[in-house]
Amino acid sequence: MNSKTFSILTALIAVVCGYFIINSFFLNPTSRNVRNDVLQGFLIGFGLAFVTAQIYARIKITKINGWTTMFGCGEPDNGFLFRAACAQVFLGPINVPKEAMYWKRDVDGAGHLLSGKHDYVMHFPAGQLPPNNAFWSLTMGDSRNHFVPNSLNRYNVSDRSGLVPNADGSVDIYIQNAAPTGHESNWLPASTGKFILWLRVYMPGQTILNGEYKVPPVVKVS
Amino acid sequence: MILEDLLIFGSVMIVAWFLFIYNWPRMLLYVYKRAILVKGFGEDPIPINTLYLEPQKLFAEPITSQSASSSNLATVGANHDTLLSGGWLDLRKGPQVLHVPDMKGRYYSVQFTNPSNNTVFAYVGKRATGTEAGDYLITGPNWKGQVPSAMKQISSPKNSVLVLGRVLVENNSDLSTAHHLAEQIRLTPLNQKGSI
Repeated sequence: MNSKTFSILTALIAVVCGYFIINSFFLNPTSRNVRNDVLQGFLIGFGLAFVTAQIYARIKITKINGWTTMFGCGEPDNGFLFRAACAQVFLGPINVPKEAMYWKRDVDGAGHLLSGKHDYVMHFPAGQLPPNNAFWSLTMGDSRNHFVPNSLNRYNVSDRSGLVPNADGSVDIYIQNAAPTGHESNWLPASTGKFILWLRVYMPGQTILNGEYKVPPVVKVS
Repeated sequence: MILEDLLIFGSVMIVAWFLFIYNWPRMLLYVYKRAILVKGFGEDPIPINTLYLEPQKLFAEPITSQSASSSNLATVGANHDTLLSGGWLDLRKGPQVLHVPDMKGRYYSVQFTNPSNNTVFAYVGKRATGTEAGDYLITGPNWKGQVPSAMKQISSPKNSVLVLGRVLVENNSDLSTAHHLAEQIRLTPLNQKGSI
């Protein structure tokens, strides 16, 4: 599911739960029994827990140029609401920020879902590759977050993948389904359909941890 | 009558709301517990207190070498930077010893996650402990005993622990070297190790 589907689902569940409570207890109170009260209370409680965690996650999310991340997850002294919010954004055993930071995106700069029908470029100005003391990578996932088959068996581009800088020291990454002529070294092969991108930075530098570093946007070129 | 129903409904709803939010991370990591202990990532499930290491072939060809019967957690949303290892600890019967080899400056990390709330209570690795060889004693909350002098203690808040290891692969030709190092990240029970 992409971020838009999640927004719609959250809104839908919120409306259904709210309508159910108002309708069955205030507008049309019909005869009820304890069994229904308990069962429905449990289900509505679950629905509202999902809505709460999603909304709280959206408040806590940091957005940079269309990339989303959350600072502070994984720390043992986090409160229960924040832990639930982290679990909405990162579906797995998460690292603490000083070990690794992850950014994710499934939309382009204009808010349209990323798709292999288009070509995109991610432009890192000179000296602006993600600062780190371990490694960084930009990984492609299809709409179900699987690796994407391609002729090079290349699933990410990274500090180790031999990216070729431009004359001015900046680095362009070509995110598209077909190989970009003359720029194969900087090609991140995209699926034919919708896709998502993950930027990982392990042992991130100080400017990442204090929020100064801005991850560059992914721009649609065709 | 409707007020009574509203009170019952409302109390159940609030309790359920709290319990679901509180346990959301636990429910999420339960999927990992099942993947490790029930489904496995290759032919068999991973026994408790053992570390599974991703085979070289799965790293090199993550699409074609995925087995249909096993959990897809090793390749869904996975990175293609590090060899992954993982395991589920049960410390009720005693501490476990994590051995790590000399990584010679290479990035690696072993992450100890509390599966009841998805927070990390300890790391062994380049950032947290350096890349020299070492032995770490992972103890549960009720363990009382002497930590062997050559070991550093990692106190787990719970008897269940999700362990995740990552060893950086520099490039295709480095894969076998990285895998050889990752293989040497091992778990053994304390009594076996302590008797040496």
